[in-house]
Amino acid sequence: MNDTLALAAAEVRRLGRNKRYSIFSVALPVVLYLVVAPQVKQASAYGVSYAAYYMVAMASIGAFSGALTGNAQRISQERKDGWIRQLRLTSLPANAYVLAKVIASMVTTIPSVAIVLVLGRFYGGVHLAAWKWLAIAGVIWLGALTFAALAVAIGYRFAPDTVQPVAMLVYFVMSILGGLWFALAGWMQKVGQGLPTYQITRAGTGLISGGTVSMTSIGVILAWLAAFTLLAVLAVRSTAETL
Amino acid sequence: MSPRPAGPAPVVSFEDVSKVYGRLRAVDGLSLQLRRGETVAFLGPNGAGKSTSLDMLLALRKPTSGRIRMFGSDPYHAVKSGRVGAMLQSGGLMPGVTVRELVTLVTGFHPRPLPVDQTLRRAGITGIAGRRVDKLSGGQTQRVRFALAIVGDSDLIVLDEPTTAMDVESRQAFWANMNAEVARGRTLPFATHYLEEADQAADRILVLNQGRLLADGTPAQIKARAGAKRISFRLDHPDEPTLRRLPALVHLELRNDLVQIQSADSDRTLYALLNAGYRPREIEVSSLGLEQAFLAITAADNDHTAASAQATYAHAGEAI
Repeated sequence: MNDTLALAAAEVRRLGRNKRYSIFSVALPVVLYLVVAPQVKQASAYGVSYAAYYMVAMASIGAFSGALTGNAQRISQERKDGWIRQLRLTSLPANAYVLAKVIASMVTTIPSVAIVLVLGRFYGGVHLAAWKWLAIAGVIWLGALTFAALAVAIGYRFAPDTVQPVAMLVYFVMSILGGLWFALAGWMQKVGQGLPTYQITRAGTGLISGGTVSMTSIGVILAWLAAFTLLAVLAVRSTAETL
Repeated sequence: MSPRPAGPAPVVSFEDVSKVYGRLRAVDGLSLQLRRGETVAFLGPNGAGKSTSLDMLLALRKPTSGRIRMFGSDPYHAVKSGRVGAMLQSGGLMPGVTVRELVTLVTGFHPRPLPVDQTLRRAGITGIAGRRVDKLSGGQTQRVRFALAIVGDSDLIVLDEPTTAMDVESRQAFWANMNAEVARGRTLPFATHYLEEADQAADRILVLNQGRLLADGTPAQIKARAGAKRISFRLDHPDEPTLRRLPALVHLELRNDLVQIQSADSDRTLYALLNAGYRPREIEVSSLGLEQAFLAITAADNDHTAASAQATYAHAGEAI
């Protein structure tokens, strides 16, 4: 396990040096929160103030894009380049690479979530009890785990030249229909209810308004986590011989 | 290089190992043993099954049938216990980190690690230790791959086409380094399609073609096996059936009055020719290099197989 953590630490270090990663997962949600949120005339969404909803949405989008788009691309590229093969020739356990990717992804998600929540408190004027802040961060973090698993599945399944369009398609469908760009209503909300992104946001707003998370939200998020994990395991297994 | 004395038990053994992809038999009933301290070249054209064999040895692929043993266990556990270092043609490096960071990281995974500075020095990459891995030239990348193969005190070092991206100078420096590794008692199987490299670096050569082992011996034995000498002469109205019956003849080629013979014993072949009453002109006898020996062995093998052989032969010529 120590070796796996060492690999995860190396992953975190190199992600910290990666400008594109920082821009998409950290800077983008911050800029959107500072620039777009004040433009919206809508006073509230999902039973909380718009500033509170948008804080949850932006923290989710940062965590989500950080865990999904860059990771899928890197896994696919490193599979093609043979880095995964190289690691299989070491004494590392067979699943170390995937575990390290997920751990690194979870660690690098922390600042993007934390920064947006801090902005929500001091710029958006969202006031909450300490445990609620932690619970919101926790729910979003669990959501990031879901997408880290999806990134593994996509990264193993698709070649580097096709992985980006696939990841972007998933990203836009999940973020728009999940209500991360704007609060949903009508038919979009009906469709969106089945998505983990929507339920992560609703879990966050539920915590803010009533201090509870609905069983539906937890059920939907865990179902997607299980489904993506299964896809990831299948993808890793099916490519074991061709790595 | 002279052959090393063979140790008692083999460190690696292949027992009737095959690897089948659909209708393609990439490796076909391969049986062989590697002994401690040997430098063994897996020599063959592209598609001969060299890389697949080494991949199975390294537990990257599973044999379809047969059994591979390494240090008394299966390949997977031998690799995971740090007994094997490997430099793969297809082995990649982690981008975004420096050479030193990468070597340090991988050294940390080895159960019997060696000092990082020593590894950097032995691989000749001390000068580029601070450079980003993804900003290196092909030759530098190759040396970093080599460093990753020697980060620990492994007993077996597997090299798949190790000098592909290197110029002549780096290639020589590389093998000088490798000889030092073998002198430490390591066993060194490597794949190559450079005959010169196999001839100079290996004390044993395994010739592979179409997934099968065609020859196994010292470079000198391989040359002898293919017909050590080439005899050429001119002869009016040569009679092919008679010529084919000449003793020690391995291969015969007739072009009008020009006769070319590969022979395992040129003296015997020539005497028999003269005793039969022939008086050939412009007799030349020359030694066959390993290249011709290799071509002769693989070509003879390809003659046995059907239409697909033609392509493989063309391939072999190209690789050499």
